Amino acid sequence: MGVGALALLAYALAFASPYGLRVLTVAGVYALATFGFQIVFGLGGALSLAQGAFFGVGAYVTGILGSRYGLGFEATFPLSMLVPLLLALPVGLAVLRLDSHYFALATLGIAQVLHLLAVNLPELTGGSNGLAGVPAAVLFGWAVPRGLPMAGLVWGLVALGGLIGWRLARGRLGRSLTMLRDDPLAAATLGLDVGRLRLAAFGISALFAGAAGALAVHTQRVVSPEVLEFPVMISILTVAIVGGRGRMAGAVVGAVLLLHLPEWFRFLERGYLVVYGAALLATVVLAPEGLTGLLDRIAARLAGRRPRAMADAKEPPLPPIRSEGLTVEGLRKSFGGVRAVDGVSLDLRPGTVTGLIGPNGSGKSTVVNLLSGLERSDAGRVLLGGREVTGARADRLARAGLARSFQAAALPQGAGVLEAVAAARLAFDPDTATAEAHARWALDRLGVGHLAGQSCDGLPAALRRRVELARALLRRPAVLLLDEPAAGLTDGEKAELAALLRELAGEGMAILLVEHDMGFLLPLAGRVLCLDRGRVIYDGPADGVRHDVAVSAAYLGSSRSNPAVSA
Amino acid sequence: MAALQLLVNGVALGAAYALVALGFVLVLNATSAVNFAQGDLVMAGGLLAAALAPLIPLPGIVLLPVVLVLMAALGLLLALAAYLPLRRRPPVSVFISTIAVGIILQNGAAILFGPEPRAAPPLFGDDTLHIAGLAVPEQSLAIVAVAALLIGAQQWVFARTQLGRRLRATAQDPEMARACGVPVTAMILVTFAIGTACAGAAGLLLANRYFVTPTSGGDLILKAYIAVTVGGWGSVPGAVAGALLIALFEVGVSSVLSYPMALGALYLTLLAVLVLRPQGLFGEAVRRRG
Amino acid sequence: MRRALSLLIGLLAASSCPSSAVRADDTLSFPVLVPLTGFLSLEGTSQRNGAVLALRQTPAGVAIASEVVDTGTSPEAAVTALERAAGRGTVGAVAASMLGTQMLAMLPLAQELKLPLVTVSGTASITEQGNPWVFRFFPGDAVTKAAHARYVVEELGRRQPAIIYQTTAYGQSGKAHLDAAFKALGVTPVFEEGVDPAAKDLLPVLTKALAAKPDVLVLHLHSSPTALLLRQAASSGVTLPIVAGSAMHQPSTAALLEPAELKGVCAETAASPISGDTPEVRAFTDAYRAAFGKEPDAFALGQYDGITMVLEAVKAGARSPDAIRKALSSETFKGLAMTYKSDGKGNMAHSAVIVCYDGASRVPTLVKRYDDPTLAAK
Repeated sequence: MGVGALALLAYALAFASPYGLRVLTVAGVYALATFGFQIVFGLGGALSLAQGAFFGVGAYVTGILGSRYGLGFEATFPLSMLVPLLLALPVGLAVLRLDSHYFALATLGIAQVLHLLAVNLPELTGGSNGLAGVPAAVLFGWAVPRGLPMAGLVWGLVALGGLIGWRLARGRLGRSLTMLRDDPLAAATLGLDVGRLRLAAFGISALFAGAAGALAVHTQRVVSPEVLEFPVMISILTVAIVGGRGRMAGAVVGAVLLLHLPEWFRFLERGYLVVYGAALLATVVLAPEGLTGLLDRIAARLAGRRPRAMADAKEPPLPPIRSEGLTVEGLRKSFGGVRAVDGVSLDLRPGTVTGLIGPNGSGKSTVVNLLSGLERSDAGRVLLGGREVTGARADRLARAGLARSFQAAALPQGAGVLEAVAAARLAFDPDTATAEAHARWALDRLGVGHLAGQSCDGLPAALRRRVELARALLRRPAVLLLDEPAAGLTDGEKAELAALLRELAGEGMAILLVEHDMGFLLPLAGRVLCLDRGRVIYDGPADGVRHDVAVSAAYLGSSRSNPAVSA
Repeated sequence: MAALQLLVNGVALGAAYALVALGFVLVLNATSAVNFAQGDLVMAGGLLAAALAPLIPLPGIVLLPVVLVLMAALGLLLALAAYLPLRRRPPVSVFISTIAVGIILQNGAAILFGPEPRAAPPLFGDDTLHIAGLAVPEQSLAIVAVAALLIGAQQWVFARTQLGRRLRATAQDPEMARACGVPVTAMILVTFAIGTACAGAAGLLLANRYFVTPTSGGDLILKAYIAVTVGGWGSVPGAVAGALLIALFEVGVSSVLSYPMALGALYLTLLAVLVLRPQGLFGEAVRRRG
Repeated sequence: MRRALSLLIGLLAASSCPSSAVRADDTLSFPVLVPLTGFLSLEGTSQRNGAVLALRQTPAGVAIASEVVDTGTSPEAAVTALERAAGRGTVGAVAASMLGTQMLAMLPLAQELKLPLVTVSGTASITEQGNPWVFRFFPGDAVTKAAHARYVVEELGRRQPAIIYQTTAYGQSGKAHLDAAFKALGVTPVFEEGVDPAAKDLLPVLTKALAAKPDVLVLHLHSSPTALLLRQAASSGVTLPIVAGSAMHQPSTAALLEPAELKGVCAETAASPISGDTPEVRAFTDAYRAAFGKEPDAFALGQYDGITMVLEAVKAGARSPDAIRKALSSETFKGLAMTYKSDGKGNMAHSAVIVCYDGASRVPTLVKRYDDPTLAAK
């Protein structure tokens, strides 16, 4: 990164013609707009097609205020950031919870409406002709001339914006957004408020885009609906992907390359864009993680990978009040007329392990999803720690002291183990360093401390489960819901897991275990519930379950091949 | 009467948009990839038809097979260059690679054919039928008929044929399909070929009634994207409904409000639909991968 | 490390350094910066061809050079192209984009760089910025729309026009001037509506226009929307006279329609080179066809006239951009389309013509010529 910055500086100061400086300035503008996009899309995974529109709104604010009212840079620049933000917040609230392509379409719709307004409100915007005579950036009475000073101003702001973006990306927000992008469901169960995080990312992206739009107008000195058109959005998206998704350095590298690329082929008159398209295609094919990813790999090959310094393990604080466990009454849930869960009541007391069994499709996983807030119940009451939490969202429940694991261990691809585990504390700890220190404690406690520096990819199943358990444990939850934690483990590993769960219960945790493996479950659980077609058909001590007629009938009736009960 | 005439025109326009969306949905369903070059492929089909017309001075119906074959070949090329190398990457990579292909197509077409707007020959005839006071251009009927035929054919292929089952299997889980002996790569190539041939048919039909220039693809992909998304990601009936909805606003609403107001109303309606029905009008046909 | 650094700098510098500008000192360059891609590529290509054809007439004793650069449709790209051109050798004058927004963006920079811009943009405001470096070799909207309105009112005797215009810079600027021109004639349009250039079906706007009971349809649309509307009007059996904007006169517009669909349609324009009214224009049209394999339009002819006037100035001894500017702003030049003379603001062209189609041919005939129509209207 240092080399690149130095090269740019040396080029700008010593080699660039006024034309070269202008291209560089425009590249800076696009880099700045892309910083915001890296946060909302690169890290957060929300394909916002409004980034170009926010860019255009920033441009129009500066254009209108500068050319009509003669306001200076110190007034127009902050306003160019503020107006897109004020637009992004209400819009964001309305569309944030939409899934990928619906979110993209909604943001595209907003962009199109803004474009229509710009074209069809000529009194305000000058219509399709736009507004001419936008002044140069006037900083405290000094009109920044084009060429080196303007390039300096833009790139100064790029450096500042890049630094801010980089800190955000590495900090709690960036990590939380990455978690959200990779697995929104798991993120919610780790206590991350999906809506608030996305709204924050959307707002930040609008701030960056507005700033970039303002600078674009000062560079080209007119503003016209062209700044709101789709090609601007496409350019930003392309810069982000070619540079490297989610990386601030990627935005800079991508913008500098993609803005210069057409200029290198100008001699082809009309053909330069064909070459540009071909070069773009080649870059996407040859550099899967973008140019920064490619540079990283080259650097790693040349210099070897430097191990990252890790914080020392630290025990996370226990929540101030140990709660009274989880109480559920009359839980009910239907899917398209089929009652998946029908009047389930249960009581998870602190310090106990409760088993939940039942044939496939009996509603066990639905119960866990309902309890952890991933599904909304149709009826029923849920009390967590004595407080009514019926219908609460997953992240609220998680913050109130509930943790769960997933049947298929949900660890993000490509992430490091420590990073993945620390994600569970992002909603609790003040910064990522603390979260990682706490994560090390949890990994150590599960006997997998040595994995901290490794990648989640390629971990054997047993270790993946441990890592995921560490994630659940790390938050020191009052209630822990485990969905088939013993599946795929050897007998030795099962014994270790059983010992751990006993220990946790001994510390006062209330544990619900969904299991098929009776040999593992029954010695561990004090009490067992059996579900069949959504109803509780057995609720009593673990010993009684083997001899219960209704339970045997349920298993034999629904699946003769299931040997679990007789095992 | 005027209202009926507008309805006739609106249905023809909706069918035209549906044709554009059709190839897009097909590729989407088979690969989960958003083919952003679809609009430019339609443009390429239109310009190809317009360029071939002086060489083959016959009605469009004779030209159509030639365009279909050439476009299918272009589709294979597209898959080889912009999809297959990226199939294990996040879907957004294909988004960008097809944008790149779109840039190449658009500017390549401008160099080859020039910037002039062109018209392709009509499918059968250029006459306008006058039925009960309504003016119905033969080409409008041809667009509706071809759209209905292709949509029906696609539904039939997917529901009833071995090829369709293999294509669906590939779309749902390529790893599993491969394990079951489905030649996945060949299936993907076939999909791209068919999808691009569809674009060629759309191009030929649209270029007669609405003309074609090298830049007309951008607007078409936007409309196709809107139609497919609002209908329900990957649902063919949904895409048709979405296309008709767009045409309803462009022709119906704009006959009451002004054209810009009608477009604004369309986008506001889209937002309302998304807020009320977050999974599109017809629900999702494909689960998203990653 | 050091190698990487120098490689990066070299790569960037390669794009910026005027490497190809190793020319003799007395070479004057005339860059052609016009939109060759995007929605205005049709008109931009005409501009390019007109300028390139003119630049083939090298004045004796002066070395000239030229390079064509695409400005796309964004102001940003136009400004970048101008800055690039300015860095390469001694620029005499620039053939500049006909897209109004791009001109507005280039103007302040042209003033700073002291480079005359020769354009055929119709956008009124480009000559209202008080910038002495712009020269427009095409009648501005004030002129063409005055001719347009006067033909409708004075020649056709219609007083209830319905105006359909495009919601682009071209359309909105033209619509504003049509309003003013009709007002000056004491006529109020019965219907006015803008249409997006991407609109595929123009029947809704046509239906509404007809419902307002006009006695004439006045269009100000781009090339293919004009053809689309004319075709829909023909198939709906519209018998009203139609007077279209300058896009109609472009041969590529007429090529989209059957001659019968054009019967009775008229259009305003600066000139119609394919109508070939004088031997000089016929010679230009032949040369243009031979060079580019296309039919020329008024934009090509205007740009040709403009660059020819620039070269006349060079022949007469102007060797610097400033000398060329002085010549352009003070001389009178008899071009192929009309006689050009600056009004002090850079408006060189003051005539417009009306052409009409007879329904048998795609080549229109000139029916009326207006010299300074705005002055006469007052």
